[in-house]
Amino acid sequence: MKKWLRSRFRSGRSDLFGVLLSLPAIVWLAIFFVVPGYVLLAIAFGTVDPIFRAPLPAWSPLDWTFGSFSFVFTHLWGGTDAFFGPAVLRTVGFVAAAMVLCLLIAFPVAYFVARHAGRWRGLVLALLVAPFWISYMMRMLAWVNLLQTDGLANRALSLGGLLPVQVDWLAGRSSTVILGLVYGYVPYMVLPLYAALDRISPSMIEAARDLGAGRTEVFRRVILPMSLPGVAAGLILVTLPMTGDYFTNDLLSGSPRTSMVGNLINEAISTPGQAGQAGALVSLLILGLLVPMLLYVRSTLRGQDVRS
Amino acid sequence: MVHDRAARSTGPAEPTGRGPSRRSVLRYSALAAALGPAALASCARDQPLGARPGASASPLKIASPTNPVIWPIATDNKPIAAGLAPEQNATLQLYNYADYIAPDALKSFEKKYKKYNVKVKVSTFNDASEALAKIRGGSVPFDIYFPSYDAIGKLATTGLVRPLTHDYLPGITNVWPEFQNPFYDSGWRYSIPFMVYTTGIAWRTDKVSENIGARPNPWNVFWDRKYAGKMSVLDDYRETISMALLYAGDSDVNTSNQVALDKVQADLLTMTRTSHPTVTINAYSDLPGGRFNISHCWSGDAVNMPYYLPKGGDPGILRYWFPEDGRGLVNNDLAVLLRSGQNPVLAHLFLEHLLDPAVALANLSATGYQPPQNTMTAEKLIADEYIPANLKTAAVLPGAFEIGFRTLELAPETDARWQAVWQRFKAGA
Repeated sequence: MKKWLRSRFRSGRSDLFGVLLSLPAIVWLAIFFVVPGYVLLAIAFGTVDPIFRAPLPAWSPLDWTFGSFSFVFTHLWGGTDAFFGPAVLRTVGFVAAAMVLCLLIAFPVAYFVARHAGRWRGLVLALLVAPFWISYMMRMLAWVNLLQTDGLANRALSLGGLLPVQVDWLAGRSSTVILGLVYGYVPYMVLPLYAALDRISPSMIEAARDLGAGRTEVFRRVILPMSLPGVAAGLILVTLPMTGDYFTNDLLSGSPRTSMVGNLINEAISTPGQAGQAGALVSLLILGLLVPMLLYVRSTLRGQDVRS
Repeated sequence: MVHDRAARSTGPAEPTGRGPSRRSVLRYSALAAALGPAALASCARDQPLGARPGASASPLKIASPTNPVIWPIATDNKPIAAGLAPEQNATLQLYNYADYIAPDALKSFEKKYKKYNVKVKVSTFNDASEALAKIRGGSVPFDIYFPSYDAIGKLATTGLVRPLTHDYLPGITNVWPEFQNPFYDSGWRYSIPFMVYTTGIAWRTDKVSENIGARPNPWNVFWDRKYAGKMSVLDDYRETISMALLYAGDSDVNTSNQVALDKVQADLLTMTRTSHPTVTINAYSDLPGGRFNISHCWSGDAVNMPYYLPKGGDPGILRYWFPEDGRGLVNNDLAVLLRSGQNPVLAHLFLEHLLDPAVALANLSATGYQPPQNTMTAEKLIADEYIPANLKTAAVLPGAFEIGFRTLELAPETDARWQAVWQRFKAGA
């Protein structure tokens, strides 16, 4: 073991240097991820003071109890008691729809910027990102105004009152929440896609053309496969925050019939006695999100292997 | 004065919005943070896991009008002596919900005690559990805190509040007699009343052609498909569950009866399906803003609504209904002194300032909420246009507390039942 270590370090100063360089990140992760993660588990596996109903974290795994987890599990699936279930399904549906929409919107935009914006690409990218200098909350509040019954959205749809369009956007509609999610997270899709598309060498495309591929063929057999890492990165980047989002739903709907997992967690946290449930829900959410994350990491590692 | 209010309303209207209410939020979460960690640990040891909460003797007394409670004064937490001079060069630290006190009330206090060079600073919170955690942490030595009356028990038993020295507070006689010796704090040892409010239904006559209040059971409007998607109920488990109880004809708004709560559960789920109201405490701005046509809200929200109408909007379209016979929810908030405060004398003087009728009027004018002052009769408030005539039902009448229902503090196991109903409702199952 020691020999191995020594050889590792002797084999190149760069290894030691690498460790040193990664130290800030490791410390950062330890303080802001590992420790809070453990606190989360201690609360999720902890108990609740029976009188004041405040969470009592169980710091030692020997003291862990599974009440919160079993509560969450029994209310997730099956039976009439599974009142968490609909919100989970809803979240999956909303996020899937929003993901697809994000991709459909972001791909042409990123493609245009990468291939056709020419010297304007810096400006176009900056403009795409510009609204996101304003906080997410303010932007959602702006949408609340735009989507009022007599708001700009309806006025635009009715062409200034010519057509009888009266959509109650804010009346607890799933579509509004999905659109809010798309609007909120689409730049996270554009940027990695842009990076991936920008990396495709024009000579590749020219080669494909020279070999007789038509436009669609070039797209299908060259551009799309080569942009897949960007698509994957973009999908991961939008999925993670959207799945835990509660705020979009709170502002744009506020109706229980559009409640998402994030809302379940938020509600549980602010209710005495339910902190453990919130912890369990968060743990499960993290576990659920780790799956696509690991798949992504694995696929990028494999990509590196191929390249090296 | 009314103009002052209009000016204020151009400011941001609590844009965060999603936090629980400024007034009743303590009901959610005061328990969560009330005891020190050591005490919690000892509770935990005494309580075997999985023990039925109800099986334990709660250290907390539950106050009710039929069971008034005198909160003890600990030997190490004696009231301050009478007749002390105010602190010099002090900054009085207030801890309150946003927009829940008139800026004028602060300024006039600074002016009144100018020779002591006093400053008043207000810190705000959105969520009472956040507030209590901060108070317990003691990082900021807040002098005055504004809880709901059902939090006073926890604050007093855990010694977070300072007992009052009545000599500084002759103005207590300005408030309604029932608040000079309230059931939740007999002998007003720790608290003075701050605001009173009812819970009712607000609507816009330009969008709703019927008189909601004329329905045999006006609460059923929240189950009326006709107004689906254009209504809101309060994001407050006590308020909305109580509303559903009243709708079902059950006036026990502190019930522990599981059958009644099951009925409420079914009714609330039906409500989500048929009329899907938004669950929010922002009706005071969103109803005049056009998002809702009918809202379950507090009387103070209704009084505030005219100032959130779009420019040129007619305030005459607003209506508020509270049961004519007074059989609806009436509640109140308090002002208390925190033990952590560094300026106990000035803090007493500030409470006395709040009891001053002129200051109380400024507070009503700025917040829409009504202090329970003897001089502020409903007729006078309407005549002086503090409350518009079309919203006169939003005035809290002195007799209201004799007839109205109060959402009292619940025993922990009952509270858990209520929260279970609420959890399922909010999950949108």
